Amino acid sequence: MKGLRKYLTPFAPDQSGATSVLYAMGGILVIIDAGGCVGNICGFDEPRWQGAKSAIFSAGLRDMDAILGRDELLVKKLVMAAEQIDAKFIALIGTPVPAVIGTDYHALTRMAERKLKMKILPIDTNGMDLYDKGASKAYFELVKAFAGQKTEHKSHSVGILGCDPLDMSDAQAEEKLKAHYLSQGYEQCFIYGSADTLDWIENAGQVEQNIVVSPAGLEAARYLKRKFDTPYAVEDPLGMAFAETVDAEAGQKILVVDQQVTAGSIRKALEAKGAKVTCASWFMMDPELKAEGDIRLREEDDFTELAESGGFDIIIGDPVQERMAGSFQGRFLPKNQFSLSGKQN
Amino acid sequence: MNSPVFFTARELAERGRDQIPAELISNTHLIYSSPATLAFNSPGAEGFGVKRAGLAVPGSVMLIVSPGCCGRNTSMISDMPQYHDRFFYLTMDETDVVTGRHLKKIPGAVKEIVEHLDGLGKKPEVVMICITCVDALLGTDMERVCRRAQEEVDLPVLPCYMYALTREGRKPPMVHVRQSIYSLLEPAKKKGNVVDLLGFFAPLYDTSELYTLLQSIGIRRIHEISRCKDLAEYRLMAEANFALVLGPEARAAAEDFDRKLKIPSIELTRFYDIDRIRSQYRALGQVLGVTFEDEAYYQEASSSIETLKQNGPLRFSIGECLNADSFELALALCKMGFAVDEIFGTLTEENFRYLKQLAQISPDTKVYSNLHPTMIYYQEEALPEGETLVALGKDAGYYHPGTVCVPWNSDTQPYGYDGVKRLMEAIKKEVTK
Repeated sequence: MKGLRKYLTPFAPDQSGATSVLYAMGGILVIIDAGGCVGNICGFDEPRWQGAKSAIFSAGLRDMDAILGRDELLVKKLVMAAEQIDAKFIALIGTPVPAVIGTDYHALTRMAERKLKMKILPIDTNGMDLYDKGASKAYFELVKAFAGQKTEHKSHSVGILGCDPLDMSDAQAEEKLKAHYLSQGYEQCFIYGSADTLDWIENAGQVEQNIVVSPAGLEAARYLKRKFDTPYAVEDPLGMAFAETVDAEAGQKILVVDQQVTAGSIRKALEAKGAKVTCASWFMMDPELKAEGDIRLREEDDFTELAESGGFDIIIGDPVQERMAGSFQGRFLPKNQFSLSGKQN
Repeated sequence: MNSPVFFTARELAERGRDQIPAELISNTHLIYSSPATLAFNSPGAEGFGVKRAGLAVPGSVMLIVSPGCCGRNTSMISDMPQYHDRFFYLTMDETDVVTGRHLKKIPGAVKEIVEHLDGLGKKPEVVMICITCVDALLGTDMERVCRRAQEEVDLPVLPCYMYALTREGRKPPMVHVRQSIYSLLEPAKKKGNVVDLLGFFAPLYDTSELYTLLQSIGIRRIHEISRCKDLAEYRLMAEANFALVLGPEARAAAEDFDRKLKIPSIELTRFYDIDRIRSQYRALGQVLGVTFEDEAYYQEASSSIETLKQNGPLRFSIGECLNADSFELALALCKMGFAVDEIFGTLTEENFRYLKQLAQISPDTKVYSNLHPTMIYYQEEALPEGETLVALGKDAGYYHPGTVCVPWNSDTQPYGYDGVKRLMEAIKKEVTK
């Protein structure tokens, strides 16, 4: 049945993706919910939350707030919080409740901006879409709001888009990516979204090259290309490094299930070994990055059918999927995907 | 420098129960999400939220019908062995929200789950359907949907409401779920020597004197839902002569017991003040027409307090993620002779009576709200030389990462003199480590 999950728990939702991008950027993040959504974000989808304080707040909506649409009350709470907390911006992050009552984020933003001398980023997530859509919206709103004027490109600098915990599933992803690109000859590597990097976004026009490591960073990269003519490449060096550890032989059929950029990078490395690789993802599949035969998974049965009928020798993916592999007889090679299981590598 | 908002016990007592400051009332401000907040601000987040509570019915499984975000953190619970193959999801999309078509899918989804589990040799006895804020706003009649699903599978199907939106309403989610889990009981012939304990989703510690005291007056069977091995044993709860309500959130369930099952109830409070415990047992004895011989338990608890006091002066920081009312516990510790520096708690009209007494003996105790935005700036203060601070509760431990912490939040519930004794021993164990 469409939407029924017997094996998998629901994947990271869009509001978690948006929060993941904005988490460390020094803003006041207001989740427009009754409390439960913040619990999911902080208690499960944000691995940095246990270790460092971040100004994440719940709007604390109650039934009458939702029924009467008390936007003024929310704005009053925002103004009070802005007076009490040092912050560079306020992000309004949506959940199912404002989606159901049809909250107008832009009107809310205008109301709040009139009372506050601070940028407000409206992120119209709804808790029903997946994390990558929310992350994509947050990256886009960030660069749209803060990326400054076109300037001369700084030579030998690279900006990374799409590196957030939900996409990279590796607690050391930032350090590893930075080390990789510095070893490639770049003098500076800016990972947008890592700790307190709003000024990096403001200077995004100076970067020589952007790298997109997950589909969530694509829309922002395209915006920066249009605005600053900054070229971008799509690759995940961590995916390629993982593929080096895979014991694959020429001619073997391999299924890789991950976010599209990581899966594509694993494919590139495994194909160099002579393997035949199919990529699948539970999340967005950008048409420009899609190869023939790549599959967007939607239901549990899609995965079972693919695993059973694809004739694969190896499946690479989060181990929570192994129970759904049905009669698959090959080797299941575990690679955690945080947005599925909530577990990092 | 920014600092967190607090009020002293004296200030609050002077203002009175009708003038609780806005900073301590959650619906007047944004709610700060610290790890301290999480456990209780989200009805499904940690401990016994609606999801775990709904599965207190023996042999039950749960279908969570919601946008994906509401079921996301259930992965944590699903990893616990007792919940394997007990949670299922029907995720909603935007079309469902607009058309309500998800409701038509529920009976089929329940059928598919039951057949799936039957195939694994794990056929459930009850299916709980958990719905969330979205259906609260849509005004879904889940009772009707459950009846339709019940016809499909010939098993009881019950609704469970995880409506965070109604947390401060007349019937919050944790009150409603207590009604849900007892709603399968049908009137039965009463037995004079059977008692039900209502209020918790896990049992009291076996060592609680409440069991022995009840047995001493001729009670032969004491039912708690968490001790029922199967649905047949659960149904025997309807034979009780009376019920003891051990937590205020079970009051509505107790009213249902009275109305539907003709089982009257008596509400007891969990105290850590041993004199209050003694008074409460005396009052209970008067109602039942018996006398409880509790002196030995009183002396044991008293002795455990004296033993802890021998460890030198202790100061306490008390949170609200623990098996106690923060304000009653603070008052009890002060009466024992300890110092209470601060309370991270939710002051209500109900627990204001403890605050008033606390203000008399410890007027400078600071009261913070875990939920207030300024708590992001909370900093520990230096302690006087040679003194030890004990953080009671997981949230207090978050604010004092370097100090002794007694989480005091086990699933199994401390109660009565035994609870006091256990708490004193737990504190002693930590401070003497």
